[in-house]
Amino acid sequence: MFMQSRMLKKIDYTILFTVIIIISYSLIIIYSATKPVELLSMAGSQVVNQDPLGVVKKQVLNVMLGFVAMAVLLCQHYENLSKHVKLFYVVNLIMLASVIFMGHSALGATRWIEIGSFRFQPSEFAKLIIIICFAAFLVPRVGKLNRMRDLLPCFAFFVLPLGLILKQPDLGTSLVFLAIMFGMLFAAGARPLLLISLIVGGLGTVSLWIWAHFWLLANRGFNLWVPLKDYQLERLLIFIDPWKDPLGDGYHVIQSQIAIGQGGLFGRGLFQGSQTHGNFLPIQETDFIFSVVGEEFGFVGAVFLLALFFILIYRCIYIAVNAKDDFGYLLTVGVISMITFHVLVNVGMTTGVMPVTGIPLPMFSYGGSNMITNLAAIGLVLNINMRRQKILF
Amino acid sequence: MERKWIESKMQVFLAIVCLIFVFLTGRLAYMQLLQNDRFTTLARENRIRLTNITAPRGEVFDRNGIKLVGNQPVYTVTLVNLGQKDTSDVVQRLASILGLEPAEIQAKIDDQSRIYEPAKIADRVSTEIVTRIKEQQLELPGVDIAIESQRDYPNGIMLANVMGYVREINEEQLRTNRDKGYRLGDPFGQTGLEYTYESYLRGVDGGRQVEVDSMARPVRDLGVKDPVPGNNLILTIDSRVQAAAEAALARASQTALAQGYAEARAGAAVALDVRTGAVLAMASYPTYDPVKLSGVLTQKESEEIFNSPWKPMLNRALLAYAPGSTFKMIVAMAGLESGITTPEETVSDPGYFFWGTTFRDWKPGGHGSVNLVKAIKVSCDTYFYQLGLRMGIDEITSMARRFGLGEKTGIELPGEESGVVPSPESKLQLRLNYLSREKREKALEVDRKYKELLAKTTDEDQRRELLKRRSEELRAIEWELDWHDYDTIITSIGQGDNRYTPLELANYVAAIANGGIRYKPYLVQKVVDPNGNVLKEAIPEELGRAEVSPETLAVIQQAMREVTVPPDGTAAGLFKGFPPVAAKTGTAEVQGRDDHALFVAYAPFDNPEIAVAVVVEHAGHGGSVAGPVAEDMLAAYFGLPIPGQMTGGISQ
Repeated sequence: MFMQSRMLKKIDYTILFTVIIIISYSLIIIYSATKPVELLSMAGSQVVNQDPLGVVKKQVLNVMLGFVAMAVLLCQHYENLSKHVKLFYVVNLIMLASVIFMGHSALGATRWIEIGSFRFQPSEFAKLIIIICFAAFLVPRVGKLNRMRDLLPCFAFFVLPLGLILKQPDLGTSLVFLAIMFGMLFAAGARPLLLISLIVGGLGTVSLWIWAHFWLLANRGFNLWVPLKDYQLERLLIFIDPWKDPLGDGYHVIQSQIAIGQGGLFGRGLFQGSQTHGNFLPIQETDFIFSVVGEEFGFVGAVFLLALFFILIYRCIYIAVNAKDDFGYLLTVGVISMITFHVLVNVGMTTGVMPVTGIPLPMFSYGGSNMITNLAAIGLVLNINMRRQKILF
Repeated sequence: MERKWIESKMQVFLAIVCLIFVFLTGRLAYMQLLQNDRFTTLARENRIRLTNITAPRGEVFDRNGIKLVGNQPVYTVTLVNLGQKDTSDVVQRLASILGLEPAEIQAKIDDQSRIYEPAKIADRVSTEIVTRIKEQQLELPGVDIAIESQRDYPNGIMLANVMGYVREINEEQLRTNRDKGYRLGDPFGQTGLEYTYESYLRGVDGGRQVEVDSMARPVRDLGVKDPVPGNNLILTIDSRVQAAAEAALARASQTALAQGYAEARAGAAVALDVRTGAVLAMASYPTYDPVKLSGVLTQKESEEIFNSPWKPMLNRALLAYAPGSTFKMIVAMAGLESGITTPEETVSDPGYFFWGTTFRDWKPGGHGSVNLVKAIKVSCDTYFYQLGLRMGIDEITSMARRFGLGEKTGIELPGEESGVVPSPESKLQLRLNYLSREKREKALEVDRKYKELLAKTTDEDQRRELLKRRSEELRAIEWELDWHDYDTIITSIGQGDNRYTPLELANYVAAIANGGIRYKPYLVQKVVDPNGNVLKEAIPEELGRAEVSPETLAVIQQAMREVTVPPDGTAAGLFKGFPPVAAKTGTAEVQGRDDHALFVAYAPFDNPEIAVAVVVEHAGHGGSVAGPVAEDMLAAYFGLPIPGQMTGGISQ
């Protein structure tokens, strides 16, 4: 079913253009971040058999796939999605489970599945699927979530997918799931006080637990079990004091902050970042891409990017308010929660105010799954906006 | 749901989103605007490496402009800590390229106390290794090739004991020279002229600023400050004479070994310009290879050099030896100057001299009727036993002092020993060391008492009386504390406590040759900066003039001349076809071991230019073993064919 030209007019072009600007910006930064360094001592003798545009080209392909996904989600009425949520939920679980059995490892975690020459990260798609399923799950419960026992089914809804993601282990994505859950619960009318006490209580318990673990280990030699891997604990410690091990675990955090900090007001200029081009920055085209923005375009460039995200989120909130039905409203809130949380944790991580959790910057970090998921989510929001009124023929 | 209700929820959402963005913007502003300087500095430290360019040391030339010590660029391999936890892969690769054990490389990395400075893994590596490292640069993060300037010796080991060697500054030297701007790894002159002239030879280091990537691989050159080379030294050494001396010493040792002198493995030779004190040659045998000492030593090499019983590191020209008969000119001059004897007086030599015990002449049966000139010519011991005894030790001591014996010459080399002129005082001091504490204190008390008493009196009779009582008191404590006649007798032929360095002997012979002027021996004629400006030029320095009448000197000179005249001069077989040479042989007895062979000479006799002194340890007779060394040196000086190199070794 193809859209009619009238429908096209109802697309929110603010969102679309903002997204296009964000993506264009990201392609420039990815190009800068992956440009091979020319070594002085080997100038001339070294054959650079690496295509300097190689990563950018792959990302352009990802962007095209993302827009296809966006179009697919625009084409049909979003209400149709609610008919298949049970199927989506089960498929999602199977996908997440398959990672554990046939996935590829990187940086201590198993997150990828390989199909042909494509690698994809089910936990990225899982975010969007869980938003759709949870929105449908919440629609009949809107306004009836005042008591703790009303919330229990909602938590039960999240237990399995969250458990599978933690098993990978992917702490970052599971936190995104929690953010989506709390955001949507709040939007669905759960008592704010209840939600706040849950969040504060949960954070408090986990902090106390981890603190007790280290305290007992240091003072009593007792190893209290914690639901975290050693490297995750290490990252938390490093977050508290990166200079404890500046050449080891603190290296990423410190180098990222140096990059951003030396950017100053206007940055060092495109391709001029010494942290970026000297490869001092770790994984600079994915998780730490914001550091490249900070170094090469400075405060102005970084705030410009934040402003683009703010416009995007602001427009999404507007769409949420004007959604035709509760399903559309909750879907939009889910997407808002996801994107906002990603931006907060990613930018926070590169600037040293959040622990390193490996969450990409939406539509900006290099990577197909992230791009496709986010563009599909944007497509969904555009769809909701497009159909906020009955269409008159 | 109602639109209003939704709006209120979304207002809270918007507020939270605004808070998040304000928070992130605030954090960025703090880092990029307020803390910008701090992070800019950190980034600089990250990427800018200042590599030191060590200044080439000054070069060293002989008096004729022949290069003795130069520099050559050598490649060194360094490894800088990049903060990787695991460097075993790099170490493994490097080990296979360099042909070292990975553990050796790891040890060098661990030795580097300052982790941000590169550790030197190997030096003097070949260009093939450099190429291989460059090829594998990507797999060898942190590995860098540096070009260093190291000492080069065009003449091999020649002059090693005089020049000394250069080696990386050690912790101790770094501490004492910290204010002079030395850094770890800097070359530092360890001994010899390299040590004495360190401040001239050193130069000013340059530097290169390079931007590097996280693997410490250079990305951009930011500027170079060229090093200023050190100043050059122009020595007084004549490398022809030096080479002849070194070769002849080695040959003398071989000859003596072949003749059964099992310990004849060391020696020294010095040649001076009698008109200035300039050192023309200073050789010490055995010697060492300064190249080996400049780099990383293997256990075996280190043992060969430092634990060898023949101590190749010593500069034997500066060690004191018993002079044997080369001392007889002093005794002869003392006899003439004190009026105890005249050139005409003759003594009958039956082959021995009896004074309480029998003192033998070296020639059984004796030399018959001997006057002073003949006594020196044939080295008659009996003549000198009698002469010494007749005039007493004070006259001998006084004459030796007039020729500067018993004191350091003050040459610009570390480690010069001071000779010993025997006297009652020196004997007392030496023997005190072997006494019990109680006796030593008693002896010192006696010595002090009589010194005071002797200072007060001027009356000759009283003086003699006091000395007699002093002798008695000392003998009462220990017989050998006192000076006896036999001490005077053996001192007169250069035995006993006599000890002089070959340099002192050469300088004393030079003073005989030049009419009594004692010059301070020196090795460096000029210090010249890299642009050719003379910074320092040696001016011959008189240490003093020996108080000896020209007549006396003329007799002694004539006597030394006779030594090389056939048929019966002790060095009559040497110097055939040379300008006239004056000389004296010496054979110094060493208790329980073979004699030291000595030889002193100067030439030309009529217009002296060069004086030499040679010692070959435990090699027997001076005329036959040490003489040929002097002969070769003089031949080299006068540009004559070198006898030792023509006959293949054994002369006489």
